Amino acid sequence: MKGEGFLTRNISALTRAMESILLSEDLARAPGLLQGLDARIKVVTFLLFIVTVGLAKSLPVLGGICLLVLALAFLSRIPLGFFLKRVMLFIPIFTAVIAIPALFITPGDSLVTIAGKTVITEQGARTAGLLVLRVVDSLSFGVLLMLTTPWTRLLGALRWLRLPSLFVAILSMTYRYIFLLLHTANNMFMARRSRTVGRLSGGENRRWLGRTLTTTLAKSHHLSEEIYLAMLSRGYRGEVLALDNLSLRRRDFFWGAFALVAASVLLWLNLQ
Amino acid sequence: MHIPDGYISPATAGTMYALTVPFWYVASRRVRQALTQRTVPVLAVFAAFSFILQMFNVPLPGGTTGHAVGGTLLAIVLGPWAAVLGITVVLAIQALFFGDGGILALGANCFNMAVVLPLVGYFVYKVVSSGSEATSSRRLLAAVMGSYMAINVAAFFTALELGVQPHFFHTADGTPLYAPYGLNEALPAMMGGHLIIAGPIEALVTGLVFAYLQRSHSSLIMAEAPRKSEGKLWLLWGALALVAFATPLGLLASGTAWGEWASEELKGLGLGFIPRGLERFEGWWPAPVPDYGWPKMGAVIGYILSAFVGVALVAFLCWGVGRRLSRRGLPRGEPSLGGLPKDEG
Amino acid sequence: MGYIFEARNLSYTYPGGIPALREVNLAIAPGERVALLGANGSGKSTLLKLLDGLIFPTSGEVFAFGKVISEKALKEGPFVQEFRRRVGLVFQDPDAQLFSPTVWDEVTFGPLQLQCSRDEVASRAMETMDLLGIGHLRERPPYRLSTGEKKKVALASVLSLRPEVLLLDEPTTGLDPRSQGNVIDFLMRWPSRGKTLVLSTQDLDMVDEVANRVLVLGEGHRIVADGKPEEFLSQTDFLLRTNLIHEHSHRHQEMVHRHRHLHEHQH
Repeated sequence: MKGEGFLTRNISALTRAMESILLSEDLARAPGLLQGLDARIKVVTFLLFIVTVGLAKSLPVLGGICLLVLALAFLSRIPLGFFLKRVMLFIPIFTAVIAIPALFITPGDSLVTIAGKTVITEQGARTAGLLVLRVVDSLSFGVLLMLTTPWTRLLGALRWLRLPSLFVAILSMTYRYIFLLLHTANNMFMARRSRTVGRLSGGENRRWLGRTLTTTLAKSHHLSEEIYLAMLSRGYRGEVLALDNLSLRRRDFFWGAFALVAASVLLWLNLQ
Repeated sequence: MHIPDGYISPATAGTMYALTVPFWYVASRRVRQALTQRTVPVLAVFAAFSFILQMFNVPLPGGTTGHAVGGTLLAIVLGPWAAVLGITVVLAIQALFFGDGGILALGANCFNMAVVLPLVGYFVYKVVSSGSEATSSRRLLAAVMGSYMAINVAAFFTALELGVQPHFFHTADGTPLYAPYGLNEALPAMMGGHLIIAGPIEALVTGLVFAYLQRSHSSLIMAEAPRKSEGKLWLLWGALALVAFATPLGLLASGTAWGEWASEELKGLGLGFIPRGLERFEGWWPAPVPDYGWPKMGAVIGYILSAFVGVALVAFLCWGVGRRLSRRGLPRGEPSLGGLPKDEG
Repeated sequence: MGYIFEARNLSYTYPGGIPALREVNLAIAPGERVALLGANGSGKSTLLKLLDGLIFPTSGEVFAFGKVISEKALKEGPFVQEFRRRVGLVFQDPDAQLFSPTVWDEVTFGPLQLQCSRDEVASRAMETMDLLGIGHLRERPPYRLSTGEKKKVALASVLSLRPEVLLLDEPTTGLDPRSQGNVIDFLMRWPSRGKTLVLSTQDLDMVDEVANRVLVLGEGHRIVADGKPEEFLSQTDFLLRTNLIHEHSHRHQEMVHRHRHLHEHQH
């Protein structure tokens, strides 16, 4: 059912996105190791870790980092199954697909031979392994950061890091309205599906999509104007201000020290 | 087209951030000028719109499906600089929340999809549509062409960033550390996918929405007074692009063009000696891309790449000169070869 | 005595040419509680936005606190800040009003823009949230709120400014009965000494509970009535003409029965 597929596929994508937003927010406020840390120190140390992943040159180092991330996730009470699913969602699979040909075509010392001919080289295996592990590790840190930090605290950290306030203000409001639009779009798809009997041609679906997108665009335009008036009405003069309540505690210093030591060790191992 | 972390080295990532920062800076200045206090709510809501647009699975005639980016559409509706900021926000949220695109790689992704894409798309749109009514079919064609070209140029830069990784970043024994495929593989792979699938999807979505906008909300399409001078410019660019793709034909000819001989060739051709001036000065200029050959790439791709880079350099220089001249008081609207149209964004 | 609001020959036409208000004349004194009635499209929202200085008349004038409200007057300077502090508008669409990431951010937005000190901002926010019973919703993002909760947060976000004048655009429309009751109770309790209330509504039920004056906008976008609630709420012909009540028929076997829907309630 091509027509049904189009609607159903989109509905499940939209629904999944909404659910995942809600679920990460709940996890971010649950008690756990990383949740208890100040957002600023988390952002800085996680960036440090991601750069370390980027600079790593050996498979054992990347493997070790992977274990570190899993341990952190466990200590932060993130359900491991959910965490792995989030990380493996599609990018690492896609990466594996990209990496597999490298196994066979990279020239170098032979690793696996079939009937006397070199099929997989050591270099190929290493390249593929490096790529996949790097992607998984970097992604894991990103996912872990978002799963353990409430959105508003993250924004506060970005503001503290001196990111342009215009950008943070837009970022903050965009996120809020993504959920609304997801919900509205989902409703439109569901309404369409409930009225659809039988198959719809690709053309009909495309035209409907075009109309729906345009209506949403026009509504977005109207909404943005109303929001602006609402802001004006409460005294907005061009600067979105926020009351950030960020404070460092002892555990933040311990974490910072740990992160520095860990990163240094990993980088040193790199140079061996 | 979102590059995950791990595909490009931290050095590349840093470079791409550095390249994008000036565009962000210009964008925020221009947008604040144009939208003033409305900047935050307008950009936020339209960025949210772009986000969900990117989520939709779009069916192409023939059965394949894919996703659009919508950068050109955003540039047409809000102006190119607003699109730069808006898509940046979308990419940041995608990277942080959904792992779609890396955090280190965010600079590169922004360069490709938030800078190159909307700017190219808008430029082509303006050039093709100049002088036409907001509801004309020429404008629709302009939107479709602009979005198609934009996504392909963005894919080109993406392929470039990925393709140079194995050349610059590898272990002592040659093992690539990041993206494992060189330009010879990366370029055709990315360009193929985008010319044939992602490009048409982008053009389709942009065209559909634009067509409906023309019908019922034409005020959202920023139309400006016709300027006669830029009518035929798109012909020129189209021709240049065609010629660029045809450059490898030169490889078929043997021998060296008349008058372009190296000193050794001269001697061999019958001169019998090497003129002293030639001998002294030959080779003093270390050309960055000798003989149009890029390292580790086939000659064909090298030629095409050189053509694009050459055109881009010339266009940039002409634009620069054009700007200097116009600032000195030459009347606007004068046809300037290679000059970007003054944007209203 | 100075009027809070005055409108002289106020007209407003949308950019597309559609008229929203025609030659409206009114004066609202401090302490009055005004119910603005009218069918959909009669111009109620537009009038409220004009009074709040968010849009400006196509012709005619609006005055607030004795000063003319024009684009120029509200551009910059001390008057704007004063005005924004003293007049609060609760929008009809809570999704437009709740634009901040969490309830706390929303309620602190106003005081922060007023440049109150950090402590002042926090204490006002707490106070207002307690007043409306939404303290437990502090960290919630707006999309995790029910419609009733959203309305309360919208109210709180305006009240944290401590305005003298409260404008409300259809505060009970679209709410379930309990939430409607909550809002009405709140409006009845809201200190009226010296404070002015103007709310637009299509709900005739709440009018005499909440207001001591009624302004009716007809479908021709003009004011067709202005006076005490008792004067109008029993005039069913008038209410029918202005599309504030409806008449329907139903059958009892062979007999057709015509009803006018009146709103009566027991006390």
